Amino acid sequence: MEDLLNVQNLTKRFGSVIANDGVNLDIRKGEIHCLFGENGAGKSTLSSCLYGYYKADSGEIRFKGEVVELSSPADALRLGIGMVHQHFVLVSNFTVLENIIVGSADVGLLLRKADARRRVLGLCRDCGIDIDLDREIWQLSVGEQQWVEILKALYFGAELLILDEPTAVLTPQQSDQLFVILDGMRKRGLSIVLISHKLREVMQSDRVTILRKGKVVATVDTANTTAEAITALMVGHKVTKNVRDNSVTPAGEILSVEKVSAVGEWGEDVLKDVTFTVAANEVLGLAGVAGNGQKELFEVLMGVRALQSGGFSLEGSPVTAPTSRQILDSGVGFIPDDRFLEGLIPEFGTAENLVLGWQRSPEYCRGPFLDRRKLAELARRKIDEYKVATASADLPVERLSGGNAQRVILAREFQHARRLLLANQPTRGLDVAASEFVYEKILEKRAAGFAILLASEELEDLLRLCDRIAVMFKGRIMGIVRPEETSLLELGMMMAGDASQLTQGIQ
Amino acid sequence: MISFQRRSGSSLGWNVVCYSAAISGALLASAVLLRLSGGDPARAFTALIVGAFGSQGALLGSLAKATPLLLVGLGTVFAFRAKIWNIGQEGQVFAGAMAAYWVSFWIAPLPGWLAVCTLALAGMAGGGVLGLLAGALKTRFGTSEIISTVMLNYVVMYLLAYLLDGGPWMATGVTVSYHQSPPIDPSLEWPILLAVGAGKLHVGFLFALAASAFAAVLLDKTSLGYEIRAFGSNPTALTFRGTNVRRLLLTVMLMSGALAGLAGAGELFGVSHRLRAETLLGIGSSGIVVAMVGGLRPSGVMIAALFFGALESGTIYMRLKSGTPAGLVSAMEGLVLLFFLSAAVATRLQIVRREVHA
Repeated sequence: MEDLLNVQNLTKRFGSVIANDGVNLDIRKGEIHCLFGENGAGKSTLSSCLYGYYKADSGEIRFKGEVVELSSPADALRLGIGMVHQHFVLVSNFTVLENIIVGSADVGLLLRKADARRRVLGLCRDCGIDIDLDREIWQLSVGEQQWVEILKALYFGAELLILDEPTAVLTPQQSDQLFVILDGMRKRGLSIVLISHKLREVMQSDRVTILRKGKVVATVDTANTTAEAITALMVGHKVTKNVRDNSVTPAGEILSVEKVSAVGEWGEDVLKDVTFTVAANEVLGLAGVAGNGQKELFEVLMGVRALQSGGFSLEGSPVTAPTSRQILDSGVGFIPDDRFLEGLIPEFGTAENLVLGWQRSPEYCRGPFLDRRKLAELARRKIDEYKVATASADLPVERLSGGNAQRVILAREFQHARRLLLANQPTRGLDVAASEFVYEKILEKRAAGFAILLASEELEDLLRLCDRIAVMFKGRIMGIVRPEETSLLELGMMMAGDASQLTQGIQ
Repeated sequence: MISFQRRSGSSLGWNVVCYSAAISGALLASAVLLRLSGGDPARAFTALIVGAFGSQGALLGSLAKATPLLLVGLGTVFAFRAKIWNIGQEGQVFAGAMAAYWVSFWIAPLPGWLAVCTLALAGMAGGGVLGLLAGALKTRFGTSEIISTVMLNYVVMYLLAYLLDGGPWMATGVTVSYHQSPPIDPSLEWPILLAVGAGKLHVGFLFALAASAFAAVLLDKTSLGYEIRAFGSNPTALTFRGTNVRRLLLTVMLMSGALAGLAGAGELFGVSHRLRAETLLGIGSSGIVVAMVGGLRPSGVMIAALFFGALESGTIYMRLKSGTPAGLVSAMEGLVLLFFLSAAVATRLQIVRREVHA
């Protein structure tokens, strides 16, 4: 097979940080090529250079054998390099067809919809995408919206399609469908670059290029290797996966949620009669596709979203009209899914962020003054204990990688929480090693008597970590199951709203 | 190829370069403006400098002009650091002066220092309540503080116009003109610290210095300052982390307005001794400029206030000596702001040279 894209010795620096260091990469025609690596390994930077968002400091990019200068995404698109982002760029009250042809070069004053429709239908047939072109975007599922993004790129004539963590927002079933489509595209001779840190996906690609600390470690044929070997290449050593210790069994009830309902901004139901309990020494998993009420549930439990009805109690005492102050004071730790929005002050350093929420606690204050010495001392200890990679305790955390920022949050929450830990997608965007670090800490707390509510989109992780798993769909709990009696498929069906798979309801 | 990149740290040398360039640029642009309006820039600038720093009296005049700007600037710093866009300083200065004037009717028998403090507190209360009102509109109804503070400016200014133009506070008698109150009780005039010739510095200057120290300590060293800075960076996280952000917003608006109100009270009892709109007009908006030029840091605001105080004081002399129109002074202030804000952006960048590969 010939090379469609060839990257030689590409280097990209940000200030003193080298994001890509002499990277060589070749993408063949008609292959699915995975870029695999930890956070901060340089996957995103590399792909950004490939579609013209960043300009490489040095090195050369050849497309179809010719050296190309990519100074903007428009350049890349003209050449035939398309990108599908994690966050879709679609007009929600336009139809599928309109979204695809809007902005395309051959649109004059009039949209020539009939021609366009014929072309798009052809593309759909070729790739095995089954979608109604006249539906509006808001009526589509997330998975279908992603297809529209793919069709958009193909309609523009993309021969190389870059997908940035495409399955982050999908159910397992939707992910499988996506791979069927990608397979169809590959057979048509299109090339696909897949950025991922999920092993399951990596193993479905033809070749994988592993990046570590900005450098290419290896490019291997997936057929000739194993998931373990790839992981070891990525982190540079072997990773042991944490599993729940069955000798520790759940004890007394810590959190009891009783028929909680809440409404959203327009009065729509976001939580409906949510009921569950979490005991000491227990991890209760919360599975569900993003946007099915998990975020709102955590907001209610943190006292920042008003309850419409129902209530919850902590260690037997009911919490009425909760405030976040009251919740924190009663010993609850919270790991938010959007760490830079809900968990950190981006402009503050590690030291100041470690006391966020406790800035008035006598522990860190002398009268109205913050005790800077104690803050510095705490920061020194926690940076050491949690291995936060930061140049100084005062470096704004917005300059830390996702994994390091998460360590700051973990350090803070585990310092102050006493009985209950609320963790919403604590490993989102983290690589294998960083995720295992988070899980290790969570399981330590389980053993120490904490009750833990753990929401995650990583179903395999929930199955090996949780004592029980609650599945959410459209603001309701579809059922609570035991991991040892439940398969991935069953969880996936429940996440899609099908409760018939629930063979036994365990409460 | 030369291009700009975000700088990872700040460099003192580069800051000096940027701000020197800003001063030169502002002077140059002002000179062009002066020349275009038929003036002689060299003469005008000489007059400006003499008027601002040329004598001890001139220096005192500059400090006196800097006093209200510093107070308003510090109040602005509190709000803007929290990214709360209080731009109603004009009205808050007026409200402070008006509240202090009203209180002065009742306190004539008080001994000197107690009267000064009461009037200062009254001024702070006046400005603070106006700020608080805008804050409450935001926390209760989600009204943008940008709109409400500006609109409250009009409310307060027209209230003063009513009170002074035929209203209960108008000066009476044969010799007085419209638009102002009778002189205040001379026993309530704020003590003059230093006086040389026409240059007088009243006790409000000490308040402004104390406020600078207070602001610097509060922002940097206290839990409240931590919350103000955090609110400016990410109010959502603060909400999740147990801070009552509504109360915080009200506190900030109260403090911000109170400092502007104190400036108003100082101008009335320390300088003009009569309540008049013209003597208060422009202090609020110049104070915002001072806060921006000072980089929203108390130390920077002190320097900027001094600079703009000198500019105002010097331009009075410049107008007399070289006949420069008054409108040009505001234009020059605007130019200085433009150049300084550009310099502030430039300090965060660095110039890099890159090799281009064919």
